Amino acid sequence: MAAKKSTATGRRAVIVGGVRTPFIRAFGSFTRLNTIDLGTKAVKGLIEKFPLPLKEIESVVWGGTMLPGGVAVNIGREIVFDAGLPMEVESFTVVRACTTSILSATIAASMIERGDADVIIAGGSDSTSNVEVRMPPTLVHKAAPVVMSAKSTPSDYLKLLGKLRKEDIVPGRPSIRERTTGELMGEAAEKMAARNEISRQAQDAFALQSHLRAAQAISSGRFAQEVIAVETPDGETVYTDNIVRGDTTLEKLAKLKPAFAQGGTLTAGNSSSLTDGGAALLLMSEEKAKALGFTPLAAFKSWSYDAVDPWDQLLIGPAISMPKALAKAGMTGDDVDLVDIHEAFAAQVLCILKALNSDAFAKERLGLDKAVMKRDPEQINIHGGSVALGHPFAATGARMILTMANELAASGKQTALLGVCAGGALSAALLLEAV
Amino acid sequence: MPDYLLELSKNPAARNAVKKLNLPLPLPENLKRITGPWPEQPLADLVVDVGHLPKSALAPFLAKALCSAGATVYASGSDSQFAHYQDSATAWGRIAKIVEADAKPTGYKAHALVFDVTGAQGPEDLKAMYAFYNARLRSLASSGRVLICARPFGNAKDLGAAVASRAVEGFMRSVGKEIGKKGATATLLYVDEGAEERLIPVARFFLSHASAYVSGQPVHISGAVAAPKGYSNTRSLDGKTALVTGAAQGIGRQIAIRLALEGARVICMDRPAEEKATAELARQIKGSALHLDITDKDAAKVMADHVAKHGKKLDALIHNAGVTRDKMLVNMDEQRWDMAMTINLMAVMETTDSLLPLMPTDARIVCLSSIAGIAGNPGQTNYAASKAGIIGMVKALAPSFAKKGICINAVAPGFIETRMTAAIPLTTREAGRRLCSLGQGGLPEDVAQVVTFLSTPQASGITGEAIRICGQNFIGA
Repeated sequence: MAAKKSTATGRRAVIVGGVRTPFIRAFGSFTRLNTIDLGTKAVKGLIEKFPLPLKEIESVVWGGTMLPGGVAVNIGREIVFDAGLPMEVESFTVVRACTTSILSATIAASMIERGDADVIIAGGSDSTSNVEVRMPPTLVHKAAPVVMSAKSTPSDYLKLLGKLRKEDIVPGRPSIRERTTGELMGEAAEKMAARNEISRQAQDAFALQSHLRAAQAISSGRFAQEVIAVETPDGETVYTDNIVRGDTTLEKLAKLKPAFAQGGTLTAGNSSSLTDGGAALLLMSEEKAKALGFTPLAAFKSWSYDAVDPWDQLLIGPAISMPKALAKAGMTGDDVDLVDIHEAFAAQVLCILKALNSDAFAKERLGLDKAVMKRDPEQINIHGGSVALGHPFAATGARMILTMANELAASGKQTALLGVCAGGALSAALLLEAV
Repeated sequence: MPDYLLELSKNPAARNAVKKLNLPLPLPENLKRITGPWPEQPLADLVVDVGHLPKSALAPFLAKALCSAGATVYASGSDSQFAHYQDSATAWGRIAKIVEADAKPTGYKAHALVFDVTGAQGPEDLKAMYAFYNARLRSLASSGRVLICARPFGNAKDLGAAVASRAVEGFMRSVGKEIGKKGATATLLYVDEGAEERLIPVARFFLSHASAYVSGQPVHISGAVAAPKGYSNTRSLDGKTALVTGAAQGIGRQIAIRLALEGARVICMDRPAEEKATAELARQIKGSALHLDITDKDAAKVMADHVAKHGKKLDALIHNAGVTRDKMLVNMDEQRWDMAMTINLMAVMETTDSLLPLMPTDARIVCLSSIAGIAGNPGQTNYAASKAGIIGMVKALAPSFAKKGICINAVAPGFIETRMTAAIPLTTREAGRRLCSLGQGGLPEDVAQVVTFLSTPQASGITGEAIRICGQNFIGA
């Protein structure tokens, strides 16, 4: 293990603790909980598990990508109200696709480290079951003058009805296609798999590893320290993640049909699923944590946010962000004990590893002499990842931070490097260190 | 008047009918071009088939050029040569495929067939090149590229190598004539020892659809001019100022537009009579307008003052303004002779000289010559003399300018569809269009692409060259 390094110059933001809701397949038990509700469950769970004087909380930095339209945009502020936090807790909401709650956490860490705040709740939630169905803008444009005017008479409304055409009232279908390229995530990952020659077998083997490790983390009680029980509006209490298949096998995975392309290699089994969930982290300045009697789990060492060409390899970004975060910390892969890469698709993780393991990639894409961090698929994601656990977009980053922070604290290991790819060809990496 | 054969050929039904009825109509291929700004990966998802002699030296550089441009590479060569493609391809996320040197491609069309003949010791070594293209030429896609890299014959240490290097040129020119009907082009890059790194951006340009109307062209890549510290493949001219003379219409206008597309701030210069068009263009591309007749006696000073005011320094100077005053020599009056020589040649020499102090160490100068200056044309003794003189000027100035870090080149357009060529009588015009390998006239934007590339930092390997943009015209190529 690497010698202990510390960034303890000036103020340091630390992770005091965190919780997440179980991650539940979309249109299951959490269907009637929207993104605000899931965030509220997570934040309430957090302050129950890590009790502190609520007036100490200065801010809630929240993330969500599936916002309940027409209800609220700044859902963080609504979570403050619904979770019963003091009205004086300010809040804002950030969006950066699948890296959203890496961003909310590092913004909170920045606020703490520059002295703006001492105690912040950061995290994210998403309810893909409540993805908004949009009415066509033409309907809004036609209806607005009548609906918005106080002088409109019933006959104006009748006239309006006469003006509407079929295409004005057929709702748009929700889509996770890239706006620029028109590609589905899975299509982009399928293309990457073909280009990098990632086989179906390799993807299935990685997916199996993800499921078995996640199942082990659940059955061993490892996840019990971070997953809270959630009571649904239907009176059901949900205790644990429901996408993980501890009993799956390579044979079962091999039988699944390609999901995105004829003759393709991506299946429902080696891709992450639409998921509902939320995750919340309690961040403090190191001094404040000590003063309030908390033992921090981990601190923020460095991070990197990057973007690549969406027409090229949409989800390759972490292969650039992870070495950049290491460089900022003056570290190499030898200094990293734990590597956690978001699994949008097993294929995308394996493409990223292929790039990270390539000296030529380091030379031609990063201007380095050689690859700084080489890893085999077995060496990463020790407790599984999004393929097994599911992927509530804005909660995944906080879920990863939570699991890695707990792991650093429990194992005595020194550093953990997280990498997350995102829609829009974005990426993020975050380096955590033990405290 | 539009090219009716090209219009006809764009209609698949008509194309089929002509083929089925065996009509004697040479339907030209609709050339693929790059209309927007240069993309980061001009070869994205295109197959490039590449081969080497066992002793060829360019694999590491071609690997970088091809893979960073987004190509899917099928490579043949030694293990160590293939390893370069394997490395670069992995870096860019497209695994390279190894193929047998003489295997016929199955299941794919190649956008480009690239062969590295450096290291050839004698004509017997060229047999591998013959075998490579013999097996593959049928698989070349329409608007495809044949690119051959060799060492310049002047530098060859013995007779065999010199003969081989020159032989490649004849091969390349003939290939160009065979593939022209597909809209495909052939280029030969002579790469000096030590200038291999400069090959990367040049190969990228000639392999892309930006070089649509250049064919049958050898280009010398040297290390004479200092290489840029760094460059970007897109928006290459950001922060740079360019001056284009004769910018109001035709080729000059397209040059100004392309330079601006790649990031340059463009000073659009033309005669006061063209004030409206020049001003409109300057507005459109957010440049500045300079209404000035280049034959005015203080024109050089006015240009220098305008540059000093609008850009401070001049990174690219494009001598595009020119006139034709055609008459058979026996009928040519003195005024026609003087006018062509003054505007096309003497003004270029004079303004180059006076603007030189404003040009930084990585500046570029591009002069418009003409295929007439290479081949000659009846009725154009004056014009051809002036345009040949341009090539002389470029070659004469290149060595001393190289020491300043400045590249100076000429481009020689062939039959380009402009207002000028539209005025040519029909039969002559038809002949002008068809008598080239691509079987069609070029567009002003085809010239603009080459001029703009020669204006970029990454064209540092090219100086003192005259590059024809003529679709491999049968006369003068």
